[in-house]
Amino acid sequence: MFVSRSMTRKVITISKDADILDAHEKMAEKRIRHLPVVEGNDHLIGVVTDRDIRSALPYSIFKEPDCSKAHEKMTSLTVGDIMTENPFCISPMDTIQDALLLVEQKRVGAFPVVDENGSLVGIISVRDLLRAFAGVLGLGEPGTLICIIVDEKIGQLKNIVDIITEEKIGFGSVLVARYWEEGKRAVFPYLLTNNVSRIKRRLKDMGYTLLEPMQWYIDNLPEDD
Amino acid sequence: MKKTGFLYDERYQLHNTGNFHPEMPARLKAIYKGIRDADILRKINLIPAVHVDQSWIEAVHDLNYILRFEEACLSGMTDFDCPDNIMGPETYEVAMLAAGGIIDVAARIMKGEIDNAFCAVRPPGHHAEKNKAMGFCYFNNIAIVARYLQKKWGIKRVGIVDFDVHHGNGTQHIFEQDPTVFYYSIHQHPSFAYPGTGREFEEGTLAGLGFTKNSPVLPGRADSEYKRLLERDLFPAFDVFKPQIILVSTGFDAHKDDDMSDMRLTTQAFIWIMERIVEMADKYSDGRLISLLEGGYAINRLPELAKDHMKVLMNG
Repeated sequence: MFVSRSMTRKVITISKDADILDAHEKMAEKRIRHLPVVEGNDHLIGVVTDRDIRSALPYSIFKEPDCSKAHEKMTSLTVGDIMTENPFCISPMDTIQDALLLVEQKRVGAFPVVDENGSLVGIISVRDLLRAFAGVLGLGEPGTLICIIVDEKIGQLKNIVDIITEEKIGFGSVLVARYWEEGKRAVFPYLLTNNVSRIKRRLKDMGYTLLEPMQWYIDNLPEDD
Repeated sequence: MKKTGFLYDERYQLHNTGNFHPEMPARLKAIYKGIRDADILRKINLIPAVHVDQSWIEAVHDLNYILRFEEACLSGMTDFDCPDNIMGPETYEVAMLAAGGIIDVAARIMKGEIDNAFCAVRPPGHHAEKNKAMGFCYFNNIAIVARYLQKKWGIKRVGIVDFDVHHGNGTQHIFEQDPTVFYYSIHQHPSFAYPGTGREFEEGTLAGLGFTKNSPVLPGRADSEYKRLLERDLFPAFDVFKPQIILVSTGFDAHKDDDMSDMRLTTQAFIWIMERIVEMADKYSDGRLISLLEGGYAINRLPELAKDHMKVLMNG
């Protein structure tokens, strides 16, 4: 779950002396929205985003791409003029959970990944993070989601895992979430099988409550009076 | 009244899935019982299984896969490609008989001997990929018969309707680049149900873009939601595509009493769905329709579901 495993390693970069038309074209061509700005040997000095470029340009360039006045302005501005200097960076040894929380806190779409020497080694974007979490959820593997309501006490998950293991069923993922009833938890094993009727029956026989997944809405938590 | 065929053969029960597997031989007994007890056997053509010319299976599956399956079976392996696919020594032969029986039914329809048919076969097929057995399925029966109809009888547009509660990943993948086969599936939403594919935005690729359509249904929904989605997604699509034959992947597992899914369809809903499909076949395909059994595991419900299914085919 380290950033180094989920980041994009082949980073498209730009120098601070490039004009912003170059930056704009590079982003459009590679379909990306963040360009780390580097100097010398991958030393990171800033980040320029598509939004920086849009803010720097008159509206006319988007309306009439051939407008020469706007082009003049574009070629007179350099990346160094509009980039964010000293951007917030993360380390390859930060975790993807760190990155997820930081995306929320810093309100940015990507972080340059910089090693202890200040060298740019990658970039991690919201898309990279989504891909990593899609893997954590077991998406892309065939399986069935079931939802079990358990008492919030130690050992519950073990019982569930034991039964599922006895049935020789593999796990794609297991999520545990809060449930509206106090003292209860909702457990969501994603089982790598089509064959769920028997395991459902066994869980019920052991006294567990199985919920239809649609009955579980975190947003339906009772409101405080 | 239509001339309706019923492909049924006791050899389909020889595919042994052990003691605790939901895809069990008793499913077929229950289906047969429902049809026999309704006293309609004498009004239909009971068709036994026949062997298949392997080249029709090769029209869908790689030869290598076919041989691998045969060898796994002969060498006494008890599952194949994943632990869901329990098998016995007869499984390979039975899978060949399923494909053979369906192809024979297709030939009878094309010769005008019968108008339509229900094929109560095991093992099912719609999860089987070109090179992989999945979800109790080994050979993709519906894909094989679709290719047979195209190659042998020159059918240009095959319409497939899959109302098994699970998405037919195999069928979709086999035809996703192919504009001559329209694949429509309605199923429990892939975030909750096997096999995790069949999202609304999966619409085919390359030349096949627009010839795949999926209607995922959230858990707990019932008849009205199925009707709404079929009216919104299937009927207009087939009205444009105008299939020359309709093939149906029939699964009874969206029934409210079937614990393999979280759907709540009533027995009545299955009648309504099938009536609409038969109407489409009358409108576009000269009545030509082949229904193939996929899932459906509520043994106590299968007799009535199969009987109703048959009656709709006969009277539609």
